[in-house]
Amino acid sequence: MTTAEARIPARPRTWPRTALVAGAVAAFTALTCIPAIGGVEVDLAAIARNWRNGADKMAQLLQPDLTFLPRTLQPMLETLQMALIGACFAAAVSVPLTLWAARPTNPNGVTRRLVRGVVNVVRAVPDLVYATILVALVGVGALPGLLTLFLFDLGIIVKLVSEAIDSSEHPSLEAGRAAGGTQLQLNRALALPQSLPLFANQWLYALELNVRISAILGIVGAGGIGRLLDERFGFYAYDDVSVIILEILVVVILIEVSSNALRRRLV
Amino acid sequence: MTAAALPPAPSRAGQTVWTVVVGAVLLAAIAFLDVDWAGLLDLPRATWEYGVLMFEHPDWERLPRALFETWRSISMAWLGALLCVAVSIPLGMLAARGVGPSWLRRILRGVFAVIRAVPEVIIALILLTVTGLTPFTGALALGIAGIGTQGKWVYETIESLDDAAAEAVEAAGGGRLAVVRWALWPAALPSLMSFALYRFEINIRTSAVLGLVGAGGIGSMLSNYTNYREWSTVGMLLIVVILATMLIDAISGRIRRLIMEGAAARGMARST
Repeated sequence: MTTAEARIPARPRTWPRTALVAGAVAAFTALTCIPAIGGVEVDLAAIARNWRNGADKMAQLLQPDLTFLPRTLQPMLETLQMALIGACFAAAVSVPLTLWAARPTNPNGVTRRLVRGVVNVVRAVPDLVYATILVALVGVGALPGLLTLFLFDLGIIVKLVSEAIDSSEHPSLEAGRAAGGTQLQLNRALALPQSLPLFANQWLYALELNVRISAILGIVGAGGIGRLLDERFGFYAYDDVSVIILEILVVVILIEVSSNALRRRLV
Repeated sequence: MTAAALPPAPSRAGQTVWTVVVGAVLLAAIAFLDVDWAGLLDLPRATWEYGVLMFEHPDWERLPRALFETWRSISMAWLGALLCVAVSIPLGMLAARGVGPSWLRRILRGVFAVIRAVPEVIIALILLTVTGLTPFTGALALGIAGIGTQGKWVYETIESLDDAAAEAVEAAGGGRLAVVRWALWPAALPSLMSFALYRFEINIRTSAVLGLVGAGGIGSMLSNYTNYREWSTVGMLLIVVILATMLIDAISGRIRRLIMEGAAARGMARST
């Protein structure tokens, strides 16, 4: 029996697995919708009832009062300064930590796991939570904002870059080791230059994220344009709020465009 | 003449200029930022003092409440991720080169860029007027705020796929819809699912942030007790937040790895 039909392999039976995954997702979703155990009460009726409020607010936000713009420049500059300083310090500290946290550059399992554990703990705390606690620790101002951005960036850079180093092949490191280089020499002469594009990519990403985050850090008192934003929101001055949002938008897009241009050259 | 065989050392002039420029901008930023640097010297002492206050005797009596609020944050994050993924997959696909018309592609990419630029807190503050100070607002805000980045990931994933399958479908006479259904969708699915789980992980962190502006969940509880200066409770809450986040990261990361390894085994991983 060598008909054409016989040679077509049977269609793989994937439906039981698909059904299992879909069932698990549906069950989890159902659990998240039970208010009694802490789930979210999905209240679609509220949208139908009150959508006009949101639409009104959007309409107000679409009428910016540009005369407010000069007052936003100083806080915006502060935001950008915080973003840059935070990203640069994080970039500097991230290099040794990353090389410590990646397997090819640190064969010592104990210190590697230690650094990874610390970084995972640092990463598990959300940015505004850092800001809230640091404001209580060192007082209101740009300093808690800076520290927040620094910690946040450090977590992202170390995690992503060390995973990228882990997942790629390193024939040159092996060659270096065969030639008798110490781990420090290998890292300095081979691993660092090779992973520099990875670093540069994440540094730029951290800078982009910083501009976005530092725009809201002011809400908890950590300096920058967020403080002004929160204040104008509190006064229901939506025309001013709208100017600030527009400004954040323009700055974020500018940073993204320029960092994309830089990335194309560096990476 | 062995020396002549060596290529000349590459010029480092460009690199030096860049280093100097970045350094100068950084120094200027540090110099003109109004920061109380003395506070930095005091930081180790303050950290130690508050660390002792927070973690010496964490207040475990409020743990049930904290777990309840944690589940609320997780629920917000999950529903937000579902909404985000459900919206961004079709829109992101339409924004991919070769799928939607070019005018639609430009509009969608613009929309994604604008959403990316708006902080999720702002979106939550606008939604508050519609759905009130509820976790539902938080879930909606997470869902909408994530579309910008998620949509970008979707079209980047689709564009990075190998063209071969799409060409094969076209050669067999398939239209654009058939190409999406039979070439792009199956090849992109593992990556898209992986990104969907990644969105959930991101939302877990962001939901705590939204809690600070009153959307409920563990973030609200944390910000309340920080304002009350009840450090033993704050310490307990921090432990819960960190453990819950790491646990979810670990589970979700494991599932993502399984998805991507399965994809690689079937030869459908992203070509880049």
